[in-house]
Amino acid sequence: MLRTLAWRAAVALPTLLVVSALMFMALRLLPVDPAAMSLPPNATNADIAAMRHTMGLDKPLPVQYVIWLDQVLHGNFGQSIHFRRSVAGLVANALPATIELAGSAMVIAFILGVGGGLLLFALRGRRSELALETATTLAMSLPEFLWGLLFIFVFGVALNWLPFTGRLAPSLPQPPGTGFLLIDSLRAGRIDIFWSALLHLILPASALGIAFAPPIARVLRASLLATWEQDYIRQARLRGISETRLLLAHALRNAALPSLTMVGVQFGFLFGGSLLIEVIFADPGIGNLMVDAVRNADLPVIQAVGLTYCVVVLVINAVVDALYMVLDPRLRRA
Amino acid sequence: MQLPLSRRLLLASAAGASLPLPALAAGQDSATMGWPSDVPGWDPTLRFAPDAQGIYKMVFDQPLTQSPHLKLIANVVTKWQLAPDGKTLDLELRPDVTFHDGAKMTSEDIRYTFFERVKSGENLDISKSFRTLVGVDTPSPTHAVMHFSQAFPTAPVWLAFLGSFVLPKEYLSKVGAAEFQKKPIGSGPFKLAEYEINARIVLERNDKYWGPKPALRRITIEIIKDPSARVAAIQSGQLDLTVNVPVREAQRLGHIPGLASELDPITRIILLQVRNDRNFSDENVRLAAHHAIDKAALSKAFYGGAAVPLSLPAPPGSPGYVPGFHFAYDPKLAMQLLAKSGYGPKNPIKIGFDTTNGQFPSDYDMARAIAAMWKKVGIEADLKVIEYAQYFELNRGDKLPEATLYSFDNATGDPEIYAGYLLNPHLPFSPWKDPVLGKRVVAQFTVTNEAERIAGWKKIEEDAVNMGACMPLLQSVITLVRKKNLSYTRYGNGWVLGQTFRWT
Repeated sequence: MLRTLAWRAAVALPTLLVVSALMFMALRLLPVDPAAMSLPPNATNADIAAMRHTMGLDKPLPVQYVIWLDQVLHGNFGQSIHFRRSVAGLVANALPATIELAGSAMVIAFILGVGGGLLLFALRGRRSELALETATTLAMSLPEFLWGLLFIFVFGVALNWLPFTGRLAPSLPQPPGTGFLLIDSLRAGRIDIFWSALLHLILPASALGIAFAPPIARVLRASLLATWEQDYIRQARLRGISETRLLLAHALRNAALPSLTMVGVQFGFLFGGSLLIEVIFADPGIGNLMVDAVRNADLPVIQAVGLTYCVVVLVINAVVDALYMVLDPRLRRA
Repeated sequence: MQLPLSRRLLLASAAGASLPLPALAAGQDSATMGWPSDVPGWDPTLRFAPDAQGIYKMVFDQPLTQSPHLKLIANVVTKWQLAPDGKTLDLELRPDVTFHDGAKMTSEDIRYTFFERVKSGENLDISKSFRTLVGVDTPSPTHAVMHFSQAFPTAPVWLAFLGSFVLPKEYLSKVGAAEFQKKPIGSGPFKLAEYEINARIVLERNDKYWGPKPALRRITIEIIKDPSARVAAIQSGQLDLTVNVPVREAQRLGHIPGLASELDPITRIILLQVRNDRNFSDENVRLAAHHAIDKAALSKAFYGGAAVPLSLPAPPGSPGYVPGFHFAYDPKLAMQLLAKSGYGPKNPIKIGFDTTNGQFPSDYDMARAIAAMWKKVGIEADLKVIEYAQYFELNRGDKLPEATLYSFDNATGDPEIYAGYLLNPHLPFSPWKDPVLGKRVVAQFTVTNEAERIAGWKKIEEDAVNMGACMPLLQSVITLVRKKNLSYTRYGNGWVLGQTFRWT
């Protein structure tokens, strides 16, 4: 297993290199000048020329890329043009909010997906199956930001049940620590902050998670149908095992592998999908940071956030591979 | 197999749905405000950010400030006198101003903020506005004298404008710029209590403030970039006040019991920035393009009629405004002018037309409406969307098209910062590169006699509009929605200051 994971890591490095090079070159093709953007509009052309030299923008593009890469390898992602502070610090500051949101959304997507898959399987051949399939199609066809707006207007405005701006109630302080509010509040022993953070997470995480649940449900249903026809299931049934136990203890474990792949793939999309959700729900994650960066043509931040997305997807793929091996002993032997 | 949906499950769900919400906005000594953008950092001299000015003004003091009607007034500087040659500015400071750490503000802090830090080579935006500052004398702790290498008639105006906030020399020198960003100290009516980037700013009242004490103890600013989310948040009671919501939403929210909404004209203007070459080299075409635009209709369609149509790049009430000057909406005249140059609806002249989409309310829709108005008279516009950040780069590269829809913010209302910046060929705002008008504009920057200065800018504005070098459209509006019992002071430049909030 370790060898496989090491191989995965070795493959990830060139992938990261290619992605970073493509991103670097593509951003340099945009008609924006980072030097000019880093100065106020009343800067003169001479000011801009001097800044271009300071930033190394007068060097050939490949040289600029090598310099940038060397800095990145030393943990230096440069300075934000807009915020004039360390890009690494900005990303590190914003990342916990996104991970917390995406993680919560994944939990919701997983619960809804697995629950929905089991329900679809249980209702197979009945009229209600069609209704549930229609519901999953609907859930899938609406983009996450529309779910977000819908949830805000229904649960936030019309029913006034849940908060939907930021991560905490205005009256509560942000606890110091990791940036993961749920963890930090518990570490600080502040149940009120934990509760507030949890309530603030429900709507954005649901909006993000709901669109990703149907594919998991459908894949699970399909693999359950295939597993249900296997000989070992028939034999287990002949031994008098109940249908529920047969489903949950025997069939589900074997049918879970394709769904796990789907969860891995979906998490990458879900992480990317947090961009609009964070803006709508005023969640200060890296999606929100990215929107600012694009608006201000803050190229160092765009590069760093893009690279972060890439790293997250690669890490998730590696984690899914590891889980595969845990769940399927044949892969370990291979 | 069926999974039962029991009554118990339903009841549990219903109970879960009625979970108590944490404390929402409102309280007699606090208020929560929804703001569309974050500050770029907590050194207010570092980056110019017009939308952040109001937030900075709650934490830091400017040497001078503006009244709600935009008159330049005293602040920590009580008296100021610009020498007749415009090269020396004498400043008298209040003796009782203290920073949040208790240190007294003196003329050394003025010298440090506007001169020493700038000359030390730090990349501060303020260094570009005070680039001609060659020294600051400090004869006494309450007396500072600024010396400029050339006439700087708008120096007092700039002391109340972008980035001009007095910073504490002692504290900043001790902790350094990076630490200052984390724990900023000003002398303003509020102290920064908590800051989460892109999320919220929590301000606590400075009880030792030298000026009128704020009525509220705590102001929380929630950074909510999405206008729909701001609408929903104020409607649901999660905010006490918010700004820049769509005009129609502001009008709708104003009818909800307990809420009030306002559409106030501000110093931000919307105009077409134009070139003096390509298919706009012909003055007839430019003037026709201007005469063809029904500005009142644009205001009605996109700003509920609240945005004032402009004939000059100076809004009513500002020093550069000329009350009798009117540039008419006259499509017939537009067609006549075009016909003189050989164009018409059947033989249209083609121009490029750039716009932003989402930079200010209804920008793209307004550009489409203008393109439709032009089509009727014989101007065919190729409309393209650009990012606001691209504007300056395209202009520097001489790649802007004949016309670009543009919004320009000038909180001071001074005509130099309108016409002077918008038409100065050496600054990146203007695609108009005509050397004749350009020379007049540049020369006007050094006129020190105030009456002559204002008169000169008025003449330049009129001439620019009459020759089609500038096409002002509308005075922009700020939409503000608040709880009815939260009062605030309106400023003509759109500042929304927490120190003026009061629950009634």
